[in-house]
Amino acid sequence: MTDDVPVERVLRPLHTTTWKFLALLVLLGLGMLLFLEAWITQLRNGLIMTGLGDWGTGGGVPWGMYIGSFIWWVGIAHGGIAVSAAVRVFKMDQFEPIARIGEIVTLVALPMAAANIVFDLGGPDRLINTMIMWPQTVHHSPLAWDVAVVSLYLVLSMTYLTLTMRAELYALMDRVPRYLRPVYGLLLLGYRPEEDEKAEQMAYWLAIAILALVPLLSGGVVPWLFSLVGAQPGWFGAATGPAMLFESLASAIAFVIVVGAAFRYAYDWEFIDDAVFRGLTKALTVLSMAVLWFLLHDTLSGVYAAPVQDEALTETLLTMPLFWVAVAGITIPALYMLATIVRPSAYSLPAVVAGAISVSIAIWIKKLIFVVEGLLYPTTPPLANLYPTGSYSPTAIEWVVVVSTVVIAALLIALATKIIPMVELDPEEI
Amino acid sequence: MVNGCGGSTDGEGCGCGGGDVPTNTPVPDGEEQPAQFGPPPALSGPEWEEWAEEVLAETDFDTELGKRLARDAYRIADGDLSKEAFQRRHGDRVEAEFGVDERPTKTTLESAASIPRVPDDHEQSRRSMLKALGAGAAATATAGLAGCLGEDEQTMATTEESNGQLGMTIDVENCIACLQCSEACKEENNTSAAVHWTYVFRWAEDEDAEWDDDHDDSMTRPCQHCTRPTCTYVCPTQARYKREDDGLVLTDYDTCIGCRYCEVACPYGVNYFQWAEPTDEAGGFDESRTDQHGDTVAGNPPEGVMGKCTFCVHRQDSDDPDLVGTTACEDACPADAIHFGDITDPDDAPQRHLEEKSDSNTFELLDEAGNEPNITYVGPEPSSSATPVEGPVSYEEMDMTEHRREEIDARWAGGEADD
Repeated sequence: MTDDVPVERVLRPLHTTTWKFLALLVLLGLGMLLFLEAWITQLRNGLIMTGLGDWGTGGGVPWGMYIGSFIWWVGIAHGGIAVSAAVRVFKMDQFEPIARIGEIVTLVALPMAAANIVFDLGGPDRLINTMIMWPQTVHHSPLAWDVAVVSLYLVLSMTYLTLTMRAELYALMDRVPRYLRPVYGLLLLGYRPEEDEKAEQMAYWLAIAILALVPLLSGGVVPWLFSLVGAQPGWFGAATGPAMLFESLASAIAFVIVVGAAFRYAYDWEFIDDAVFRGLTKALTVLSMAVLWFLLHDTLSGVYAAPVQDEALTETLLTMPLFWVAVAGITIPALYMLATIVRPSAYSLPAVVAGAISVSIAIWIKKLIFVVEGLLYPTTPPLANLYPTGSYSPTAIEWVVVVSTVVIAALLIALATKIIPMVELDPEEI
Repeated sequence: MVNGCGGSTDGEGCGCGGGDVPTNTPVPDGEEQPAQFGPPPALSGPEWEEWAEEVLAETDFDTELGKRLARDAYRIADGDLSKEAFQRRHGDRVEAEFGVDERPTKTTLESAASIPRVPDDHEQSRRSMLKALGAGAAATATAGLAGCLGEDEQTMATTEESNGQLGMTIDVENCIACLQCSEACKEENNTSAAVHWTYVFRWAEDEDAEWDDDHDDSMTRPCQHCTRPTCTYVCPTQARYKREDDGLVLTDYDTCIGCRYCEVACPYGVNYFQWAEPTDEAGGFDESRTDQHGDTVAGNPPEGVMGKCTFCVHRQDSDDPDLVGTTACEDACPADAIHFGDITDPDDAPQRHLEEKSDSNTFELLDEAGNEPNITYVGPEPSSSATPVEGPVSYEEMDMTEHRREEIDARWAGGEADD
C-alpha cells in the first residue's frame, strides 16, 4: 500500500466536479450521439453500410476495421491489468499509483473489444448462439476459445479489482458523498474486516493467474484466430503470437501512460511522479523495439523467397503509405524514448505522452493492415490469380464507430473517477 | 354381398385387402435357391446353425462372430437385450472385425432433445456433449485440438463409410464457358446480384487477350463440399456443418451470426455474405427453404447471414424423384461438363465420367490445402501462372454482374435513402 499518497487529493474528484469536467462530459456525450447515429444506420441497413465485401469474385475484404480494432482493444485490455498484477506480484511499490489505472483500463477495454465484434456481426441479435453452442464448438472453433478466455479474463479482472478495493471502500464509507453509499454497499456485500488478510492473499494469487493468462491470451488465443487459418497468406504462421503479445503490452503501457498523465494534469496528482512515467517509458521503449523487431522478421521473410502470394502481399505492403506511417509512428517515439533513457534531461512528460499516443495509433494501424493484408491477396495460386485482388476502403460509418469506441472508453473512465478512487489508498491512512 | 368381401369368388378367401400380403411361403419344389433367400430355420434347432454357417461362409467375415451377433440381434428384437448391452458385448469385436463400428447403439442423451439446434451430425454433437459433460473442459479442448489436426475421428465425423458423399466430376475439356451454370444457379437459388455460388473461371496459360478454344480453358467452381471442411471447424455456432446423410456442407440460416469466419477459413472463395436485405433478383425462391431435418439451409440467405452453393439441397431432399440427384447447374450445362452424384458409388455419374475419361488428367483444386474437396476436375489444371481472360461471353452480356464491389457501392449510395 502506498504511504505518501495524499488521501484528500485522491478523494477530491469524488466530491467536486469542475466545469471543465462537465464540458468534457458534454463533448464525449456528443460523440456518443454521433456513434449511436452511425451504429443504428448500420443496424438498419446491414453491413452494406461498411466498406467490407466478399473475397473471391467479389474482390472485397470480409474483415476490416472492426476486427482490427477488436485485436487492438483486446491487447490493451490484456496488458492493462497485467501492469497492475506485475506491480503486486513483483512488489514494484514505486508503480503503485498507476496500478488501479491499469485495472480500470482493462475493465473499459474488454467491453470495447467485445463491442467491436458485435459491430462486425451480420446477426448481432444471435450472439447468444455462440454461448449456447459453446460446449460443442469449443472442440474446434478458435472463436469459441476466444469467448471462453475473454469471459474468464473479465471475471478475473472484476474479481481482482473488487478484492483489492474492499478494505479501502469500507474505510471510505463515511468520507464519500451520500449517493455513492449504495454503490459501495453493493461492492462490500458480506464484508467483514477479518477478511482483509485473506483477500490480500487471494488478490496475490489472482495476480499470478492474470500474469499467466496474458501470454495465453494476447500471445495465444487472439493470434490463433488468424494464425491457424491456412487459407489466407500473411496470417498462417507461428510468429504472430509473440508479435501480438509485444504489441498488446506496448499499447497497454501507452494507454496507462496517457491516462495517468491525464489524471496528473486534471487533478494535480503530482504523486504520480516522473519516476513512474520514466519507468513506464523504459518499458514502452523496449516493447516498441520488440514490435519493430517482429515487423522486420515479417517483412524479410515475406520478400525473401516467400511463396508467391506472400511475396506479392509483402511487396504491396512496402508500397503502402499507411504501412510506413505505422513504422514511423513506432520508430520515432521509440528513438526519442531511448534518448530519454540515455540522456535523462531529454525527458519531458508531454513529449512522452505524444509518443505513447503515436505508438498506440501506429499499433492500431498495424492491426488493421494485418487483418486486411491476408484478404487483399487471398488464397493461393492458381485460384489467387483467377480471382481479383481485393480492395478495401472503410466508410464514414466504420470510422465513426471505431473512433467512438475510444470516446466511450474515455467517457467510462471519466465516470469511474467519480465513483471510486483512482489510486489505491491504504485503509490504515484513511 | 352379405359378408362385405367384395364378392371374391376366386377362392382367395376373405382377406378384404387383396391377396398380396407377403408371407414366408416355402420355396416351391424344383427351384434351387441359395440358402440366404429362404426363410431361416427356427433359432433353437441345429438346422439354424447349419443355415447360418452356410450364409456366413459366403462372406469374408468371422462365422462365429456372425452367429453370436445374429442370436443377440434376435434377443434385441424380442426385448430380452438392450442395444447398449449388445454394444458392450460385441462393440470391440465388431470394430476389430469390420474395421469400423458405425451402428449408433450408444445411449442417447435425453437432454440432447432440449438443446436448441443440435445439427444433424449427431455423432459429432452427441460425443461432444458427452465429453463436455463428462470430462473437464481442458480435456475437451485437447480432444478438439486433436480434431483440428485431423487425428480425432470422433469429433470430425466423416461420412464416407456409410452414407456416401455427394460431389461432382467437372470436365474442363468439355466446358465451353457459356456461363449457363452460373445463370441457372442464380435462377434456381434466387441469389443476390454479383453472387455466384457457381462461378466460371476462364484462363489462359499464355497471355493472349482473345478467347481461343484451343489455348484457353474454363471450368466452373461451385462449393467443393470438402471432406475436411475448414469452414465448419471455425464456425462458432455450428451453423456451418457437414450433413451426415450425404456429406453436404450447409449453413443453417437460423443460427448463423454472420461473423464471416467460414469465408475467411475457406481457401476456395465460395462464400458470399448477404450484405443487405436480399432483393428478388431472379423472381423468388419457391422451393422448400428447409431440408429433411427441418433446418433452414436452402435458397438465398437472409440479410446478415452467410450463403454458398448447397448442391441444390432442396432438390436432394425433394419428394420428386426426378429432382433428387440433380443440380441446377448440371441440368443447365449444354456441354456435359458437370456430373453430379454420389462420388463413392462407381455406378453414379461422377465415377462413370471419370471412367470414360480415364486417359485424361484429373486434379482437385488446391489439394495441398488439405481440405479434401469432393469435386474432381478432368482436363488441364491451371498452373500457378494462369491468368484470367475474357471468355466467349461475359457475365454482363448474360445480364449478370461479377462486380460485387460496385454493386455494394451502388447500394450503399442508396442505403441512406432506405427510410
